[in-house]
Amino acid sequence: MIRDITIGQYYPGYSQIHKLDTRLKILLTFGYMVSVFLAKDFLAYLVIFLSLCLVVATAEVPFRFILRGLRPVFLIIAFTFVLNLFMTQGTDLVRIGALHITREGVYTACYMALRIIFLIIGCSLLTFTTKPVKLTDGIEALLKPFVRFGLPAHELAMMMTIALRFIPTLLEETDKIMKAQQARGADFETGSIFRRAKAMVPIFIPLIVGAFRMASDLAMAMEARCYRGGEGRTKMHVFRFGRKDAQALALFCIYLAVILVERIFDLQTFMLEMLRTFGMI
Amino acid sequence: MSIEVNHLTHTYNPGLAYETTAVDDVSFTVARGEFVCIVGHTGSGKSTLVQHLNGLLKPTSGTVVVDGVDVTGKDTAVIEVRKKIGMVFQYPEYQLFEETVYKDVAFGPTNLGLSEAEIDERVREAMALVDLDYDTFAQRSPFELSGGQKRRAAIAGVLAMRPSVLILDEPTAGLDPRSHDDVLDLVCGIRAQTGCTILLVSHNMEDVAGLADRVFVMNEGRLVRDGTPLEVFADGDYLRGIGLALPQARAFAERLAESGVSIDAKRILTREALVDAIAGVAGDTGGAGITGMGGDPS
Repeated sequence: MIRDITIGQYYPGYSQIHKLDTRLKILLTFGYMVSVFLAKDFLAYLVIFLSLCLVVATAEVPFRFILRGLRPVFLIIAFTFVLNLFMTQGTDLVRIGALHITREGVYTACYMALRIIFLIIGCSLLTFTTKPVKLTDGIEALLKPFVRFGLPAHELAMMMTIALRFIPTLLEETDKIMKAQQARGADFETGSIFRRAKAMVPIFIPLIVGAFRMASDLAMAMEARCYRGGEGRTKMHVFRFGRKDAQALALFCIYLAVILVERIFDLQTFMLEMLRTFGMI
Repeated sequence: MSIEVNHLTHTYNPGLAYETTAVDDVSFTVARGEFVCIVGHTGSGKSTLVQHLNGLLKPTSGTVVVDGVDVTGKDTAVIEVRKKIGMVFQYPEYQLFEETVYKDVAFGPTNLGLSEAEIDERVREAMALVDLDYDTFAQRSPFELSGGQKRRAAIAGVLAMRPSVLILDEPTAGLDPRSHDDVLDLVCGIRAQTGCTILLVSHNMEDVAGLADRVFVMNEGRLVRDGTPLEVFADGDYLRGIGLALPQARAFAERLAESGVSIDAKRILTREALVDAIAGVAGDTGGAGITGMGGDPS
C-alpha cells in the first residue's frame, strides 16, 4: 500500500524525454505550469491533454503508473470538485434542500479538478523521467546566477538531493515498521479516525528515531569523504544543450503559442459560434 | 501447527519496468515443532517468502495454509493468524517505540485485547524467555539499552504474543559474536520451553548446520533444495555456484580428506563433529595422521 505512492519517484527508462537536458526539462515544466494557468476554457484543456498524452507516450512511462501517482491527491481533487460544484452561483440545474448545483458550478468544478490533475501529471512527469541527482544538479545550475546575490544554490541543491534520496528509504522503512507492528497485532485499518491516528504512534516513533540515525550516519559519511560544500566542486554530469533539446524547446514554444492564441482570441467561443452557425449543434 | 505452502508466487510491481518475481512457485510443508533454516543469497526471496506466512504479504498466486486455515483467503481473520505466527524482522530493535521496555513488550498482548493481569503475566514470561531481568529492565527506556539488549527486548515483544510458530529473519545480523551466540541460544531455549515451530532465515552456514532439522535453499525466488543439513550440504559445488558457502567445518574436513587424511567429510557439519573426527584419526594413527596441525582445532 505504501509502495503505491509514486509522486517524486523515478521511472527508469531511456526515452527521448529521459535524455533531455535537465535544465531545459525543469524550465519547460515551469512553462507548462504557467500554460495550465493560462488556459481558461476546455478547448485549451484539450490542447494540454493531447500534448500531455504525446509527452507521456514519448516518455514510455506506463499510464497506470501515472494514475497511481494521482491517488494520494485524490482527496484534494475530490474536495475541490465538490466545493466548486456546490458553491458556485448561477443557473440552477439541481436543487437538494439548501444545496444547489448550478450549470456554472459543474463547469468550474470540472475545470478546477482538471487543472489540478494536469498540474500534478506534468510535474510528476519531470520526476518520473529525471534521476533525483540530475534533477538537483539541474536546479543548482539554474540557481547559479543568483549565487552573487547571496543565494546558497549548492547547499539548497544538496539539501534537496538528500531529501529526495531519503524518500524511498523512508517509505521502505515505514513499510517494514508497519509490517513489524502488524505482526504484533497492530491494526491500522479499522476504528475511528482518532483510533487510527493513535495507531500511527508505533510507526512514527521508530521512523523518526531511524531518520535521526540515518542523518547522523550520512553526515559522518559525508565528512569522512571531505565534503566541504559547493566551492570548487566539479560535477560528474556536465549538462549539454543538444539538438534534441533545441527541438524540444521549439515544440514547446509552438505549444505555448497555441495556448496563448487560444486565450487571446477566445477560439473556443469562436468555434462554438461557427458550429452553431453551420447548424452542427 | 503445520504450515502448507502451495505453488506460492509473488511478483513485485507487476506490469512495470522493475517488475520482479521475488518468490516463484514455491511449495513445502512444515510440521509442528520442526526447526527449519532458510538460506539463500541476498535477493533470493527468503524475506518475501516468510512474510507470506502470517499474511503480511498477499501472494500473486498460490496459497498458504496454516493449521487448516487459508491465510491468503480474503475473509480470513488475519489477527488469528498473527496470534499463531510470531515474526521477528531483520533489525527488530528498530521497531521499539514505547517509553519503557514493559510497555513495548505489552504492545502485542494489548492489541489482542487481553486483561491487565494476563498482559502482565505474558510480559514477565517473554522477558524471562529472552533473559532480560524483569526488575532491571522493565521500567527502562528501550532506547537506552545496548544493541544486544534492544534486540532481545524486541524479540520479547513478539514472544509475548505466545506464537506457536516463530519466524526469525536474520535475528543475528549486525551483532557482535557474543550477542550472536546469545540470540541463537535464546532461540533454542525458546524452542525447548515452548515447543514452537521455528523458521530461521540465515546467512550463516555454521548456525544452520548446528541448529536446523531441515534446510531450505532459495535461489532466484525458487526453492531449490529441501532436506536435512547433511543432505543439503552434500552438494558443495552447487551451493557455491549459487553464492552460498559450506559450513567451515565441512569445508575444512573436505580439504583434509583431499590432502589424504582418512576422514569421512560427508558426515561432518559442525565444529564438534570435526574435532571428534580428527581425534578419531589421531587415535587410529597415534597422532601421525595429523602431525604438524598442532593446537586446539576449535
